[in-house]
Amino acid sequence: MKHNRKTIALFSVFAALICCVAGCSPKSKTKTITFADVGWDSILFHNAVSGTVAEEVFGYNWTEVSGSTPITHEAVKKGEIDVHMEVWTDNLPNYASDIAAGSLKELGVNFGDNAQGFYVPRYVIEGDASRGIEPMAPDLKTVADLKDYAHLFKDPENPSKGIIYGGIAGWEITDIMHKKYLHYGLDEGYNYLEPGTDAATSAVLVSAYDKGDPVVAYYWEPTWLLGKYDFVLLEDEPYDEALYFEGKCACPSVRVTVCVSNDFYKSDPAFCEFLSHYQTSSALTSEALAYMEETDADYKAAAKWFLNQHRDMVETWLTAEQVEKLYASIG
Amino acid sequence: MDWLFNFPFEVNLNTDAIDQAVRGFAASYSSFFDGIKAALTNFVGAINWVFSYVPWFVLIGIVFFLSWKAHRRIRSGIFYSLLLCVIGAFGLWGLMNLTLSIVLAGVIIALVIGLPIGVLISGSEHANRIVRPILDMMQTMPVFVYLIPAVIFFGMGSASAVIATVIYSMVPVIRLTSLGIRQVNAEVVEAARSFGSTRAQLLFKVQVPQALPTIMTGINQTLMMAMSMVVTCSMIGARGLGNEVLIAVNRIEISRGFVAGSAVVILAIILDRLTQGWFSKKEEAGGEER
Repeated sequence: MKHNRKTIALFSVFAALICCVAGCSPKSKTKTITFADVGWDSILFHNAVSGTVAEEVFGYNWTEVSGSTPITHEAVKKGEIDVHMEVWTDNLPNYASDIAAGSLKELGVNFGDNAQGFYVPRYVIEGDASRGIEPMAPDLKTVADLKDYAHLFKDPENPSKGIIYGGIAGWEITDIMHKKYLHYGLDEGYNYLEPGTDAATSAVLVSAYDKGDPVVAYYWEPTWLLGKYDFVLLEDEPYDEALYFEGKCACPSVRVTVCVSNDFYKSDPAFCEFLSHYQTSSALTSEALAYMEETDADYKAAAKWFLNQHRDMVETWLTAEQVEKLYASIG
Repeated sequence: MDWLFNFPFEVNLNTDAIDQAVRGFAASYSSFFDGIKAALTNFVGAINWVFSYVPWFVLIGIVFFLSWKAHRRIRSGIFYSLLLCVIGAFGLWGLMNLTLSIVLAGVIIALVIGLPIGVLISGSEHANRIVRPILDMMQTMPVFVYLIPAVIFFGMGSASAVIATVIYSMVPVIRLTSLGIRQVNAEVVEAARSFGSTRAQLLFKVQVPQALPTIMTGINQTLMMAMSMVVTCSMIGARGLGNEVLIAVNRIEISRGFVAGSAVVILAIILDRLTQGWFSKKEEAGGEER
């Protein structure tokens, strides 16, 4: 009997709590847009900018789903992610064929001015008086010059040769960088290691920079790492389309595009219209990331600051009344 | 009503200061860490050298011999050597040697550190209370949390891979050694004590032999957990089968990933059967002698 009463009492308390919770939660019928979060600062920033426009102008909610480069690409194709603000087209081997087959829609180029290639810390070439580092390779300017400095970039696993850290395993650019390494005869003096994730490359570069050691690795802009630390891009032959795939010349800027899933394209032409005009640049992205670093702002605050700073650019993205609506809320 | 559903207060952690402190530590003690890195790299290199100089049929022969002896059936010997041939047929022999070197180096170090710790915590309740939370942390802390700092301290390559493998796979051998020794029949221990054995004699002549099945299970599990770290280690530059899987995953080449993954599975199965078989052989022998 006592057992029975106790159970009933517990059950009714539980039921009461559930009713409270159900009563309190608002029934939201507003649409939610899903953005891709590949982990980079730059994409989180662009998500926040688009998301702010989605909230203030279109009245949507927005959320982010994380995944790696190939995973988020597949998710957009399947419609699980609506919008991908930064598709690095060179890192997806099947991108061109996917667009041709119509599995997803490319709406425009987010930014097309970015650098990538082999980077060395500036103190390797010029030294750093404030840290007491002597210039170790004052004549190092191009990728071909690396041949003379194999003794400087020692491979810890195999000290008789140097080491170059290549592209991330599985990216398109990785293949090209490997061909470049072979083309300049660097395989004589250097070993070549392709890291599994960009986190590993960042860790290697940061730890070498902290210790003041020489290091040469593939990296790309715009990133927090190259914004924060002083690295120099090694020069190469001028870009030529035919030579590029053989690794014989400098890398062109990657077309970083905005893509949406087919379902979203059909269901939301107005928002897609805005996205097709969305265009920033590598410099603008770095400026925003630097602002965040200096003021410790989060992505949403940085997005608001960015939209207020660049009203003339925003006016090319939206219609006049959308612009008014936006700045009424955040201006 | 907001306070009902949202946690009421937040402590602002100064993560920046902690990061700076860790990185400063890595930079100032870099010669110490470089020494450890060199030692580990040479150890893995030595094992790899042995594997690369042994002709392939010798390795298959060794597997055949060991599995035959462990299971007392020619059929097992033939089966496991055939499985090993399959890895070679897929063109993954060289990569298998690299992976094996890292796994074996990790397991050897894990056993050298883990077995004594297991014995230590079996004897002392105080030590047990200190060590157990550390073991829990080692097993459940997400691997990348200590993987990237390992790269900062030890660089990319076999050294960090071995350290990550050791941290993750040392735990089973410690727990099971301690468990095995504690579970030795109390009357046997009492009998040994009453015959006047010293603590060392009690440990090595009574407790460890009696606990051997459990300890062997611990060693086997350590080996299996080291194999499971293979792909994670490839993310920080450990060359081998894991790298093949990683490239396949990044390029969404499902079949390539499956082939490399199967090679890892085959390797794990062979290592598992080879290390388990010894003990059942002893049990059978003990039974027959009765």
